[in-house]
Amino acid sequence: MTDLFQRLMNMDKRWLYLLVGLAAVIPILLPLNLPVNVAQSVQDLYDRVESLPAGSIVLVSFDYGPSTGPENDPMADTFIRHCLARDLKVICIALYPLGGVTEGLEELRRAVGPIDPPNGVLESSSFPGKFYGKDFVYLGYKDGGQATMRQMGENVHTVFPQEYFQAPVTQYELSNQVQGYGDVTFVMSLATGIIGEWWANLVNAQYGTPVAVGCTAVSAPKYFAYYKAGQMFALLPGLKGAAEYEYLVEQQHPRIAEATAADVYNAGKGWDVQSIVYSIITLFIIIGNVGFLVERRQQLRR
Amino acid sequence: MFKKRLPLLLTFIAGMLPIFSFFFRAPALLEDDPTGNGVVQVSDTFEQWMVILAAGALLLGVVNVFQVNLKKISNRGKGWPYAVVFLTALIVTAVFGLWDAFARADITAWYAHAAYQWIVEAGFKPLQATMFSLLAFYVASAAFRAFRVRNVEAGILLAAALLIMLGVNPYVVRALPFLPDLTQWTLNIPNAAAQRGIIIGAALGAASMALRILIGIERSYLGLQKGE
Amino acid sequence: MSTEVWVWVAALFTLFILSFLYKDNPFFRFAESAFAGISMGYYINLTFKNTFVPNLIAPLFHAGPAYSPELYPGHTAQHWLLIVPFMLALILYTRYIPKIAWVSRFALAVYVGYYTGLNMMQKLQGEVLPQSADTIRSFWRFIPERLPIWVSGQGHTVSTGEWISSLVFVIGVLAVLVYFFFSAEHKGVVGGVGRLGIWFLMVSFGAAFGYTIMGRVSILIGRVIFLVDDWLGLG
Repeated sequence: MTDLFQRLMNMDKRWLYLLVGLAAVIPILLPLNLPVNVAQSVQDLYDRVESLPAGSIVLVSFDYGPSTGPENDPMADTFIRHCLARDLKVICIALYPLGGVTEGLEELRRAVGPIDPPNGVLESSSFPGKFYGKDFVYLGYKDGGQATMRQMGENVHTVFPQEYFQAPVTQYELSNQVQGYGDVTFVMSLATGIIGEWWANLVNAQYGTPVAVGCTAVSAPKYFAYYKAGQMFALLPGLKGAAEYEYLVEQQHPRIAEATAADVYNAGKGWDVQSIVYSIITLFIIIGNVGFLVERRQQLRR
Repeated sequence: MFKKRLPLLLTFIAGMLPIFSFFFRAPALLEDDPTGNGVVQVSDTFEQWMVILAAGALLLGVVNVFQVNLKKISNRGKGWPYAVVFLTALIVTAVFGLWDAFARADITAWYAHAAYQWIVEAGFKPLQATMFSLLAFYVASAAFRAFRVRNVEAGILLAAALLIMLGVNPYVVRALPFLPDLTQWTLNIPNAAAQRGIIIGAALGAASMALRILIGIERSYLGLQKGE
Repeated sequence: MSTEVWVWVAALFTLFILSFLYKDNPFFRFAESAFAGISMGYYINLTFKNTFVPNLIAPLFHAGPAYSPELYPGHTAQHWLLIVPFMLALILYTRYIPKIAWVSRFALAVYVGYYTGLNMMQKLQGEVLPQSADTIRSFWRFIPERLPIWVSGQGHTVSTGEWISSLVFVIGVLAVLVYFFFSAEHKGVVGGVGRLGIWFLMVSFGAAFGYTIMGRVSILIGRVIFLVDDWLGLG
């Protein structure tokens, strides 16, 4: 028994890498559709969106890049679809320098369909009757982080004089209407790292605007402190949070369930893989520690 | 004196602007003058300028990187072929990127954008994502080889980690239905308490460091030593 | 299997990076160098397209429909002032010319000063005050429940579970703050409370470890799905 543990401890780490790789590939080829338990922080976001009157404006900030796409992309897709299904208006910006601008456009297009405003394609194919500039709009990316957030509190048009496709913001009804944080009902930040915190400790603290954050799993433990203090009214922690939110929205909105199922990647698929790899790593930790305790007991006996 | 004292004075003035404007933004003061009083207007203009300056600072590293890599190539230093790859990738991406940035709304803009987007989709996004994904393998290997319960503190760390990891596993949850609630409690109470302690402590430290910089005690960011 | 060139290039880059798991090799080094170069080029485009062109160059030269004087007559009034941040940004680069490197200190002083001032207010008002306020509210939530109503002046209906949770929470915050207080020696009562603070920190680090694994695996999932679905077409 001790020999077995010794051999396991001294195993070439590349066998571990192979095991993790297989654990990641197999559930994609053979989907498991594992169940999810919804946390209160996720339920809070769902309830808020469901309770808002039609026409309310939500600001969505893409504060992540392709590196955390697998966690944040499903949150973005589901959230924008949920808002449009509830007839809320969505104004999108990007504040993350390493790829936020491309993520914003990509996810907006994934949610609403292949819009192309410069060539006159303004109507959403996924939500017929919803138009770019009237029901949703994308202002693009701006440098400056906190300074930009402060400036937006005074005048959004000064920070974003043009929307992403380089038309003046005053040209479109929705972007013209939103001039400061007072014009939006709440801010949804899809964040990796510190930008989500800035929305809480700058915009919520100084302007009183409600903030919800969809963060990566790495940042989640810290964000729970802000959620508990009420600086964020909702929190989607990592892929688990995305899967839970997706589950809640799909129960109530079958059209969104169809759209999500048609996506190449969604939180549910990712969560299957996540669960299996997570289980394997948990097993590694338990085996490693059992082996360590067995070894220590042997040394004490000697 | 001019070279050392004036930058410190500039730091102080530039730092005082957002602090003053914070207090001058009170609604009661702005009621009489909806366009904002003088301090707020100056601060707003300054904030727009800082966005431009921040962008300029972002590109500082480009000059340094060119210097270092050109030297490596000319001296045939270790790994110089990779320096060639690096500079080629940088120049090609930058050329298409600047073309995309400056192109007006006409047919050349379409070509510029398409070319640049191709580089982003085929190069930047997969490379960045894959670099980060290597960490998944390293974390698994480290968890197996190095995560050991050597003392009480390590035991608590392990217990908390297992609680989180098992609390999201659907099979374990089915066997132990109280587990998700216990996991949430752990996240919302002891974890949030510790994180709050860290946030408050770090924020107080950062605020005191900020004060040291503004009043000129801390000068290392200007390349000055203490007493200079 | 995909027939698009960009998918094949992306897949090859992905495999080159993943080959490092077996061992260091020239393919990985090539992909690593390409990544560094492309990232920097990406940053250059980002900075120019999203900041310099719309916020500096276009307003200065009235280029583009958003800055047309006919459409926005009041909009061009102070745009000549934008020459100031432009000069400051240029001054930053004098640090690479040894003879006049000291000039860059002025621009750096303005940049560091502004963000330091902003950060200080944000830390105090956005972190210290709200977090402390909620801790005090948690503290007060359980005290009145256990005092006679003529002392507390109010009746609360806090369940025992919430009462215990609030107590644990407040003790945790205070213990962690005591641990970080290095002006007093960690002996006796202070040492004991500091040790309790470490235990709370260990719970937090354990949670962070669990979530970090989740985060890293998610990124791997994205790559695997790209290879299996987009490249090989097996999904």
